[in-house]
Amino acid sequence: MLKNITLGQYYPVDSLVHRLDPRIKIILLIALIVAIFLAGNLLAFVPVMLFIGFASMLSSVPFKLLLKGLRPLRFILIFTFVLNLFFLQGEEILLDLGFMSIKKEALISAVRFSLRLVLLVMGSSLLTLTTPPIVLTDGLERLLSPLRVIHFPAHEMAMMMSIALRFIPTLLEEADKIMKAQTARGADFESGNLIQRARAMVPLLVPLFVSAFRRAGDLAMAMEARCYHGGEGRTRLRVLKCKAADFYSLFALAALIAAVVLCGKVY
Amino acid sequence: MQVTLDHVTHTYQPGSPFQATAIQDVSLTIQSGEFLALIGHTGSGKSTLAQHINGLLKPTDGKVLIDGRDIHEKGFDKKEIRRRVGLVFQYPEHQLFEESVAKDIAFGPKNLGLPQAEIDERVKEALENVGLSYEEFAEKSPFELSGGQMRRVAMAGVLAMRPEILVLDEPAAGLDPQSREEMLSLIAGLHQKGTTIVMVSHAMDDVARFATRAVVMEKGTIAMDGKPEEIFRHAARLQEMGLDVPSICRLGLALREAGIDFPEDIFREADAEKALIQLWKGAEKC
Amino acid sequence: MAQAIIELKNVSYAYEDEGTEAVKNVSLSIPQGAFHAILGQNGSGKSTLAKLINGLYLPTKGSVQVCGMDTAEDENTWEIRRRAGMVFQNPDNQLVATVVEEDVAFGLENIGVPTGEMPARIEQALSDVGMLDFAKRAPHTLSGGQKQRVAIAGVLAMAPEAIIFDESTAMLDPKGRKEVFSAVQRLNEEKGITVLWITHFMEEAALCQQVHVMHEGEIVLSGTPQEVFADVERIQSYRLDAPPMARLAHALRSQGMPIREGIMTIREMQEEVKRLCK
Repeated sequence: MLKNITLGQYYPVDSLVHRLDPRIKIILLIALIVAIFLAGNLLAFVPVMLFIGFASMLSSVPFKLLLKGLRPLRFILIFTFVLNLFFLQGEEILLDLGFMSIKKEALISAVRFSLRLVLLVMGSSLLTLTTPPIVLTDGLERLLSPLRVIHFPAHEMAMMMSIALRFIPTLLEEADKIMKAQTARGADFESGNLIQRARAMVPLLVPLFVSAFRRAGDLAMAMEARCYHGGEGRTRLRVLKCKAADFYSLFALAALIAAVVLCGKVY
Repeated sequence: MQVTLDHVTHTYQPGSPFQATAIQDVSLTIQSGEFLALIGHTGSGKSTLAQHINGLLKPTDGKVLIDGRDIHEKGFDKKEIRRRVGLVFQYPEHQLFEESVAKDIAFGPKNLGLPQAEIDERVKEALENVGLSYEEFAEKSPFELSGGQMRRVAMAGVLAMRPEILVLDEPAAGLDPQSREEMLSLIAGLHQKGTTIVMVSHAMDDVARFATRAVVMEKGTIAMDGKPEEIFRHAARLQEMGLDVPSICRLGLALREAGIDFPEDIFREADAEKALIQLWKGAEKC
Repeated sequence: MAQAIIELKNVSYAYEDEGTEAVKNVSLSIPQGAFHAILGQNGSGKSTLAKLINGLYLPTKGSVQVCGMDTAEDENTWEIRRRAGMVFQNPDNQLVATVVEEDVAFGLENIGVPTGEMPARIEQALSDVGMLDFAKRAPHTLSGGQKQRVAIAGVLAMAPEAIIFDESTAMLDPKGRKEVFSAVQRLNEEKGITVLWITHFMEEAALCQQVHVMHEGEIVLSGTPQEVFADVERIQSYRLDAPPMARLAHALRSQGMPIREGIMTIREMQEEVKRLCK
């Protein structure tokens, strides 16, 4: 039942992009987002598209998988496109339907808006497809650690994320078992209206929460017994080191930003 | 009532890379009144088999029949199976969820759509059946009980459905010796009152003491099926499968090895006691 | 006599929210390199005792010393926990990381072992418990016995002198139980690691050098397994069980058969029956 849920969408192959330092990849994504929002006209999207296309080529992730990430968004995409198309004002009329007309400015804006969304999703998919969640967590922790000066709990946040990743399969298995046990007592999780179904979840959720709390208590005890006392003075098994490829990718990034800004000016 | 598994095969996640066949072409008939022990080490398919008995899992191939009727055919009421075959999972106390013991036990009967008066009566009966007093426990929160008590409440929740067959997956796992003894004698008591018992177990001494029939699973198939005394005669084969044999069996082997005439079909402590006293008295006379 | 690694003197402990004492006036001394068992039913106080030893709880009365350090002194806490590691009951609830080798690294990271030293120590610890082939696996794909051996490796990597096992086999099947127990026996014999084995399985207690029986917060009986299990009725009065052969010997004796005291194993019973019946 619940076992079919796949978590994180990491695509496990070895590629240049997979090997990049997670910190660099996070920075690249942030910069990409900035570039997407900087793009003032349609021409300026061309370098962004080239960048994502080039990166996905290097990553050996099938392009199909990248597009798959867009599926859940398809309704929002169509909706916003149509909304933009019909309701934005402009001067140059492209098509007159009588009761309504499509203006040139509206078309451009609709395309720009959709393109932004598509590129954003593809960019972030590329990150999660090429980086295992645990490595991503690691990268985030290192990137955020300077913020400790202002008491931002970077280490604690990363620790929580990695513990969550560790326990998701365990809790899914447990949920499956509880569901079966309650079904054996005649519980029905599959029929009825929305409210009935929500109420039917109580016999599943209560034991699941009780168990999650029990596990949390046990785990805290076990971590303490293994000398865990926060991030201070901790060393790490995995050390992140920037390699040549990481620096090259930063150059590529600088080129991208420059291209986006230039394209915006030229037009 | 009779449950038959007819050439049942079960494959988890067929067609996916995680495909795994847990049981393969298993045929088994559970007769009314039996105390059947299902033996096998982890991964032998015994839990998967247990979940077929009350229709929680549907065979990928083969049929499950109750009194000759296929339970997965159209029009067969699933509620009827749930009512007639009770299933107690491993660590059942982890499935308690209601605010009071009585409410939790009532969950099953309520799902059957019984009238309130009957539900109340069944809750009382089920609590008595697991040896807990209704007055003392009914209104308590299940979460403030001891581990052994929680497990008994969870069992009462299944007993309240008044099943004809009770399937138990490792009912004594994790309990200390005393609670373990109490749990086992409770199950033996239910069997005496007429409930058919199917008990998944690792503990051979328990099987030796209580079961009327033992089915040994290995790699998803039935490796042995017979009376405990027949099964335990093949001690070497059981050990090969990574299973224990009752300690009395091992003693018997050792004694016969030493040239002592200790009967082969003894595997219970009480019987061993008698046989040894007899041997000793016989030797003293000489 | 070897120096005591774990030394409890008149220790009592009461949980804050409960009036009664979970551990009452317990004195216990575990010498270096020993393999002792604490046997008791659920609620006998044996798990509380375990947590007192590595400073997860502090005694309300008396003192606990580990490797000569008092657990009540704050500055000793981390050193005590490193030198007297602990393995718990539930195999699922003590592994932290999503990969086996990273979990073994967890303790090393906590005590600040340099990164360069870690891989060798992790490899050694995993191979000591026979889990090296599983270094890259995710914990949830392992069996219960394998998970417990990973947990042991995690403690072992920190180079402890003693390990306390708090019912570490209670949730395992017989195969997993044997797997874990024999791994621990090996660590005791080959590495000289002091073991305190807390359990309610008499089969396991019977294999330890010394058994301390706990009942209602007190240590009521201490001695070799032979001594402890000789009095079957007394053991049963503590809601515990004696090994099957001890039980059988006891029953035979009560019917007049002159079986000697202290029989625990099948081998011993075989010898004795041979002597009496041939």
